[in-house]
Amino acid sequence: MGLLALGTALDWPDAKQQAHLVRAWGIKQLLEIWNKAKGKERDIMLWGDEIEYLVVNYSKDDPKVLLSLRQADILKALADSNTLKVTGDCAPGTEANGDAGNVTLPIFHPEFGRFMLEATPGKPWGIDFKDLLTVEADMKLRRCIAKDHMLPNEHPITLTTFPRIGSPGVFTEPSYPVSGPKLRSQFVPDEIANPHIRFPTLAANIRSRRGRKVQVNVPVFRDENTPWPWKDPTVNHDLHNWPEDDDVRNGAAPNNFIHMDAMAFGMGSCCLQITFQAKNITEGRKMYDQLSPLGPILLALTAATPVYKGFLADTDVRWNQISRAVDDRTPEELGEKPLKNDRWRIPKSRYASNSTYISTDSRLRPEYMDPNLVIDPEIKQQLLDGGMDDRLATHFAHLFIRDPIVIFNEDLQELDLTKTDHFENIQSTNWQHMRFKPPPADNSIGWRVEFRPMEIQITDFENAAFSVFIVLITRAILSFDLNFYIPIVKVDENMETAHARNANLEKKFWFRKNPFPVRTTRRGGSASRSASGASTPNHGPSRPTTPPLGPVEDEYRLMSVNEVINGTAYAKATSKEVTEDAEEGEEFPGLIPLVESYLDSVNMDVATRCGLARYLDLIRKRASGELWTAAKWIREFIAKHPEYKKDSVVSEEITKDLVGAVIQIGEREKRGLGIDDLIGQVPDLEKLFGGFLKGKSPCGGGQAALEQELKDDAKVNGVKRKFNAEE
Amino acid sequence: MAKLILSTGNIVSGGPSIVRKPGASNLELINSLKVSFQDAQLDYADEIENVNVNGTTTTTTTTNGTSNGVHEATNGDSSSSSSSLVTGPLYWTARDQQKKENDTILVPRIDWATAGLSEERSQYDITVKIFFLPTTTPDVSRRAAYTQEAMELVLKELGGISDVDLLVVSFPGMSFDGDCEWEADKLNAAQGDDESEIATWQAAVEELHRQGRVKRLGISEFGTEKLARFIKRLAIPPAVDQINIKNCCNVPPPLAKLAKEQNVELLVHSDCTDILPEGTLRELLGPQGAGLLADPATGSGGLSGNLTPQWVIKYTAVVKNRGVIENKGYFAGAELN
Repeated sequence: MGLLALGTALDWPDAKQQAHLVRAWGIKQLLEIWNKAKGKERDIMLWGDEIEYLVVNYSKDDPKVLLSLRQADILKALADSNTLKVTGDCAPGTEANGDAGNVTLPIFHPEFGRFMLEATPGKPWGIDFKDLLTVEADMKLRRCIAKDHMLPNEHPITLTTFPRIGSPGVFTEPSYPVSGPKLRSQFVPDEIANPHIRFPTLAANIRSRRGRKVQVNVPVFRDENTPWPWKDPTVNHDLHNWPEDDDVRNGAAPNNFIHMDAMAFGMGSCCLQITFQAKNITEGRKMYDQLSPLGPILLALTAATPVYKGFLADTDVRWNQISRAVDDRTPEELGEKPLKNDRWRIPKSRYASNSTYISTDSRLRPEYMDPNLVIDPEIKQQLLDGGMDDRLATHFAHLFIRDPIVIFNEDLQELDLTKTDHFENIQSTNWQHMRFKPPPADNSIGWRVEFRPMEIQITDFENAAFSVFIVLITRAILSFDLNFYIPIVKVDENMETAHARNANLEKKFWFRKNPFPVRTTRRGGSASRSASGASTPNHGPSRPTTPPLGPVEDEYRLMSVNEVINGTAYAKATSKEVTEDAEEGEEFPGLIPLVESYLDSVNMDVATRCGLARYLDLIRKRASGELWTAAKWIREFIAKHPEYKKDSVVSEEITKDLVGAVIQIGEREKRGLGIDDLIGQVPDLEKLFGGFLKGKSPCGGGQAALEQELKDDAKVNGVKRKFNAEE
Repeated sequence: MAKLILSTGNIVSGGPSIVRKPGASNLELINSLKVSFQDAQLDYADEIENVNVNGTTTTTTTTNGTSNGVHEATNGDSSSSSSSLVTGPLYWTARDQQKKENDTILVPRIDWATAGLSEERSQYDITVKIFFLPTTTPDVSRRAAYTQEAMELVLKELGGISDVDLLVVSFPGMSFDGDCEWEADKLNAAQGDDESEIATWQAAVEELHRQGRVKRLGISEFGTEKLARFIKRLAIPPAVDQINIKNCCNVPPPLAKLAKEQNVELLVHSDCTDILPEGTLRELLGPQGAGLLADPATGSGGLSGNLTPQWVIKYTAVVKNRGVIENKGYFAGAELN
């Protein structure tokens, strides 16, 4: 979430009038920056992570855990440089009350939810491998500093969603009545959203544009005692405050679904997002494409969202709920009514898996493209006329089918080509699972790619592990020229698959069989190469051939997450839930073995390799099922709670104990204590973490690396600071 | 006597050969060589049949009747300036004409025109590792010559650069194996041959450092005692010790301590020391492999004689600020008597 401009936000009917102007100016700004930056070369590898927290109000003695709505006060405390110090618990190393002057302090940002907080590193990370081990320590530092600027009973936690947000009764501190003018939600008050005008306007204009409230329906988990058909008992069919109160009387809340009706149910989720700076536009476009098919796999693997509004859901991840929570499509665009006023039917929400491949890679076959892609042909033509190539013009002409949602009157006076505000207005409200980011207007940062599907994890150890894993995958992709292309429609399908309960163990995903580049012959053509590393003796030469590409369908098959992550051989040896389909010669090497091959080819000191091995180990075990996802752990926690009545209801008491356990884990992790004493007290911790959080790691990579970092000159570079500063 | 120079070319985007297998192994080298030979055989296959494809490049015909299957092209105007083409079963190799004193065969042919790095030298971190093999005697002057020869090939392959950042030396007979790393460290103390290793270091390696062709020097698989003895006797001690350990959290504390005191960086690796055994090489090149060697049973096919691998050099060029491996490959030298 970036800097927030102030001004007069237009209400929907007025904003709609200006949508065309914003798009037109946005395209001009895009062409300006594209022309300026298309030749940008040799930017170094920088990357950044974003951690999002829920802030809860918890004390052992209170019967309830509540969401704290003191975001503004907390941010104010954090923004005040006089108090932002690394002290006490947070002091890295042994020097108590260490001087904060040497460490690059993290940056805290507001988020949509007034109960949320986002933190990014004070400067982006590089690719010095020792740097990779400072990430975890920095994440802990962020959490620690955040906690230090809260009330004693407030805690930053990294659950994706608050289990009882929107449940009847009190769930925030302070509490407000529901059914406010902006959200018109019967479950959450307007005050749930960040009060900055941008956010209520965003929510209200999405609702207005849509013509009704958003419908966030998630299937309920059917347990032994769950009444069936299940009718969401919290839905009030007799409310008459707003026209939108008719929604539920018109079928907005179907049987067997947990019904939610406001943006806060989606945009109030915490994610783990990683942004990379590419060497140049070509590399950025390549990374965008190659990371895209990994999105659903990493979503399933990081699954952490099994509860909504006080009920167990039948899905494990947040994705579709956010998608629906910001779905501003009209009935015409949704295909419910014939097109009359709107320009086109749109198959996906503006928050969805991405719909384009944009690389100039010759391996990108036209068959991979989304056949249902909607673009604005006029905008595409403008971009082509401005010199942009067809593929990239198509990408932006697709993003620009959307209306801008929040428009500030002050920005409409004249077009300012030294800014990118209108472009960003559209770009940053296209929440696809990958985002391709042009440099800012001053061209001070390179082309970037953001990887957005992952769910936040309970501990910083896990968050660091997944962040570093993605970083290393990008290096393997670029080094080995890997090819993960499958048709975009298959990526979409995988995204749906990733939602299923235990998808990481029980479901299969489309994935490319052979990720390796075809060899180029000395004649300049290409030829296939046997996957086994060539074992057939070659008697008598044959003419070199360039085999024609086979059917696209032959390039991919269904694989388990285990097989994608660990490789076919490992998956065959460890998989309990599913059998692997690999036929002879179709063995997939696995992302972790590919990353390890990369690590084997670079110079790396023992301690660094050890620290990285620990991360890869966590991911290996999560993928094989040896360790549980957070979603599974939360489900089991609830199932085993004495209060749970096997009726899908997650009560206040269960929620309190769950959040309490998460806080206890976090407190111990922050102090480097390990969670040994919690084992037995909190169920199944060893299933979630294995041996990973048992006191100090024998290698102590993170802390040692941070100490090193402290010694290094860590100047805060203004340019670098802005690196992540976008929503 | 003929000398063979085996090469893999750039294997980093070369497909599955790069995929790591658990534990220390030479599979990467062996698979890459296999692939390299097969690719060359496919790519040059038409030359065995077609003469003067485009009228200017002189290629050779399938002429039989040469004594050992190696046949030098009669017309020197070949596509490769420093090497001439070869016929028969060896059509995919080339003879290095710069080496007048010896018959040197490039297996496969090397197209130096495609060699090089895409950016200037300063953008890269370049590491090479030379393996002295147990098949050769620890003769210091020969090892110095191997090192020179191997380095030259790497520098040429990477586009005529003049230096590398790190040269790691792997001596035969060294290992860091055992049930636990402590044990490995103890076993290690008695391995190898200090005298020849030190002499080799002084003659072959320190000199490269003095010449400025190598910025840092390293050794491989040295445990605490061995490393301590080595350092004591050297003018230019190693800056790097590569160790291959099963669980990298368990570096023997004495080794960690010594490394810290002596400013030796402990790096991980997964190469085995005996990276190119004689039998493996014979299989690779024999009638069941690339068909370069004559079938001992029938005498048909290519070269005959005893084949002895002498050295292997691995090179890796990583773009510094981006962590991207741009070029990685191997050369190996072998003698045919």
